[in-house]
Amino acid sequence: MFDILLAGLDSFQSWQVIGGVILGTVIGMVVGVLPGLGPLIGIILMLPVTFHMQPVAGMGMLMSIFVAGSCGGAISAIVLRIPGTPLAAATLLDGYPMARNGRAADAIGLAIASSALAGVLGGVVMILGAPALASVATNFGPPEYFALAITGLLSISVVSNESTIKGLMTGALGVLIAMVGSDPLSNAARFTFGTNALSGGINIVAIIVGLFALSEAAVQILEGGLRKKPEVQSVRVSLGSLWMALRHWKNLLRSSAIGVFFGALPGASGIIASFTAYAIARSRPLKGDAPYGEGAEGGVVATESANNAACGGAMIPTLALAIPGDAATAVLLGALLLLGLVPGPQMFALSGDAVGGIFLAFLVSNIVLFFVGMLMTPLFVRVLRVRKQYLVPVVLLLSIVGVYSVQSRVDDLWVMLVFGMLGFGLRRYGYPLAPIVIGLILGPIAEGSYRRTLLFSDNGPWFILERPIASTILAIDIIVLILTLTPSSLRQRAFTLFRKWRA
Amino acid sequence: MLKTLIKTAAVAALIGPVAGAAFAADDYPSRNIEMMFPWGPGSAFAMAQIITNAMGDELGTNISVVSTPGAAGVKSFNTALEKPADGYTLIDGWVAPLVLQPLAGNTEFTHTDFTPLWSATRVPFAVVVRKDDERFPDYDAFIQYLKDNPGKARYSSGSIGNIPHMVLAKMMQTEGVYARNIPYPQDGDAFKDLRGGLLDFSFNDPITFQSNKDAFKTLVAFTNEKDVAAAYDENTPTLDDLGLDIGLTGLAPSGWNWFLVHKDTPEEIVATLNTAMEAALNRPEVQERLKAAGFLPTMYPPERYEEIVGPIGDQIAAAKDAITWEAEQLAK
Repeated sequence: MFDILLAGLDSFQSWQVIGGVILGTVIGMVVGVLPGLGPLIGIILMLPVTFHMQPVAGMGMLMSIFVAGSCGGAISAIVLRIPGTPLAAATLLDGYPMARNGRAADAIGLAIASSALAGVLGGVVMILGAPALASVATNFGPPEYFALAITGLLSISVVSNESTIKGLMTGALGVLIAMVGSDPLSNAARFTFGTNALSGGINIVAIIVGLFALSEAAVQILEGGLRKKPEVQSVRVSLGSLWMALRHWKNLLRSSAIGVFFGALPGASGIIASFTAYAIARSRPLKGDAPYGEGAEGGVVATESANNAACGGAMIPTLALAIPGDAATAVLLGALLLLGLVPGPQMFALSGDAVGGIFLAFLVSNIVLFFVGMLMTPLFVRVLRVRKQYLVPVVLLLSIVGVYSVQSRVDDLWVMLVFGMLGFGLRRYGYPLAPIVIGLILGPIAEGSYRRTLLFSDNGPWFILERPIASTILAIDIIVLILTLTPSSLRQRAFTLFRKWRA
Repeated sequence: MLKTLIKTAAVAALIGPVAGAAFAADDYPSRNIEMMFPWGPGSAFAMAQIITNAMGDELGTNISVVSTPGAAGVKSFNTALEKPADGYTLIDGWVAPLVLQPLAGNTEFTHTDFTPLWSATRVPFAVVVRKDDERFPDYDAFIQYLKDNPGKARYSSGSIGNIPHMVLAKMMQTEGVYARNIPYPQDGDAFKDLRGGLLDFSFNDPITFQSNKDAFKTLVAFTNEKDVAAAYDENTPTLDDLGLDIGLTGLAPSGWNWFLVHKDTPEEIVATLNTAMEAALNRPEVQERLKAAGFLPTMYPPERYEEIVGPIGDQIAAAKDAITWEAEQLAK
C-alpha cells in the first residue's frame, strides 16, 4: 500500500491537485446540503471542468465531490429534518432529535467526524484489498442479492420505532411506487398509464424531497411562531467531535465494515448500508447515550460512517473490474477512462504514479472533509437562528430548484408536490417515512434478483438452496422473523426451556 | 399604473415566444443548449460530455447533457421532441431508441423524423467467456456445446431486446443453437455474474474486456474489420476470420450514436451546429479521449445519414426476428 502511495506522492504534490480536492470538498458539501442535489449532480456538473485539468487533479476533485456529497446530506437532515440526499434518510432518525435537544452542533460534528474517519477506513480497504474484495463481490449473484434485500426490508421493523405495522405499510408503499416505470426484465411499461412522463419510473429524488422537505415545511408553518427568532446558542469551531465519534469506536468500525461491504456490491449502495448499520447499532446501544429515535449519538455515527465507508467500497468494483455500483461511480469510471486510465487488477499492480496520486487524493479528501466541515459547522448552525418566515420559503425554493435540476423536467415538480402532500398526511397520522425510502431502494433489487434467480433455475425458487451464502442469509432472516413475531412471554418460556435443556 | 403594468406583461408574455422564434436564428446560440441523453449517467454519458463540451467551445455557449433514462431510451427522444425545434435541444441518438425501438413498434417516430448532425461513436460488441472455462476453448467448441445442450446455457446481453441481444440471438440462430438470456438493469452486473460463474457467456464491450482481461477471453467480435476487433485484443477473431455471415455488416452489429435535432429545426441553425460538431470531432484531444475509452469515433458527415442508417434499419429488422425465434425455441 505504501509503495503505491509513495509513487503517487509526486503527482499528488501540486497546487492544482490540492486545490482540486479542497474545491471538490466544498462543492460536495454544498450539493450534499441542498435538498435534491447530490454527489451525482456535483460530479456531472464538474466533469467538463476536469477535461482541462491534470488527470490526478481532475479525478481528485471528482472523488472529493463524491466523498463530501455523501456526507453533506446529513447536515440538512440534522438541521432541517430534510435529508439533503437519500443517503442521509437514516441519519435523520437520530440526528434531528439531537438538534431538537439543542445539540445541533454536536450532531453535525459527529456526522462529519464519523464520515471522515469511516471514509479513510474505506479508502484504506480499497487501496489494500480492491482486487481481492472485488472477487468476493463476484460471488454475490441474484440469489444473494435477493437474500440481502429481504434482510434490508426486515430492518423496516427496526427503523419504524414503535409503529411496526405502520412502518411495514409505508415500506410496502415504497415497494409499490418503485414498480412504476419499465419492467426491470422485459422493459414493458408498468403502471405508466401510457404516459411518457412515467415511462422511466418516478424520480426518487423528487419523491424524497417531496416526502421530507415539503411535509416538513407544512409542519413548521402549522406549528406557528413564524416571526419568532429561534434561540440557538452560537457555536465555535471545535475538534471535540472527533473524540465524541471515537467514543463510539466499536459502532464506527462495525458500521464502516457494513458500509464497505454494501458499497463493494454493485447496485447495493450506501443507503442500504446506512439503514443496516443503524438497525444493528440500535440493538447494541452505548451506555450513557440517549435512547435511539430520541437523539442517540450512536444513530448518527452508524449511518454516517456506513454511507461514507461505502464510498471507498463502491470504488472497489469500479476500479478493479470497471463495474460501477451506481450512477455516481459510473460517471467517475467514465472520467477515469477519459484520463486514459484503464481500470482492472493491473491498475493496482502497476502502481503507476497517477493511480497512487488518485488514491492519495481519495484519502486526503476525507481529511479535508473533516476540516472544511468543522469550519463550516458554525455556519450551518446559524441556519437554525433564521426566523421561519424567511427559512421556510428559502428551503422550498431550493428544493424546487434542486429537484428540477436533476432531469430538467417539470413532471418531477408535480411528483414532488404530490409526495409532499402524501408525506404530510402520513406524518399527521403517525406513519414513519423512512420505510418508504427502504422500500423504494430495496423493492426493485428484491424483485429483479428473485426473477433473475428463477431464470437461472431449472426447479423454481429451490435454486436458492444450491447457493450456500444466499440460503444462510435467508435462514437467519427466517429466525429473526420468527423471534420478532413470537410474543415475548412465549420467547421467555422458550429461552428458559432451552437453558434448562442445556443445564 | 398597475393595470398598465399587468397589460404590458400580458402582451409581452403573448408575443414574447413568437418574437423570440423569429429572431432566434440570427443570434443562435444566445443561451445554453441541452443534450438529451437516453441512458443513466455512465461512460457513454461522459463521452457525450466530451463531444458537447468541445462543441460548446466552438459555439461559445454551454451544452449540458441531461440524462433521461426510461422506456429503453425512448423517453429521452420523446422528451426532446416535446421541446421547440429551435436548436436548443440536441439528441444523443443511440441506435436502440433511434432504430430498434421504432422497428419494435414502440415509438411514434422513425429515424427519418430527425435532422442528423455528424455521427459520433461506435462500440463494437463481442462474445466473451471465462478464460478458465474448459468447455469453451474456441468459438467452434462453444457452438458445439450449445448444440449438445440446447437451451441449457445462460447468457446476458444486458437488457432484453437491445442491440447486443439481437446480435447474439442472430448469431445463434445462424448456427441453429439457442440459450437463455438473463436481463440485468446494469450491464456491469451481468459481467460480474459471468466472472462469478453464474452465466456461461455474455456480450462485452472493449473497456470492460480490458478491465477484466485476467478473467475473460473473446470468442468473436462482431465486426469484419481487423482493427476494430483489435479494440479487444489482437487474438480476437472477426466474423470474417470465422467465415461467419450473420446478416449484419458495418455498423449494424455494434452500438453507435449519431447526434440529432428535431426535424423542424431551421437550416441555418443546423448548419451552425454541424460546423461546430465537425470542428469538435476533429480536435485531436477529443479523438484521443474517445478512443482511450473504447468509443471509436465514426466521423460520418450528415449527408451520409440516410445512406448508412437506412440499410442498418433493414438489417436490424431482419435480425430482430432472431429474438422471437429464440423465445419460441425456449418455450418448446
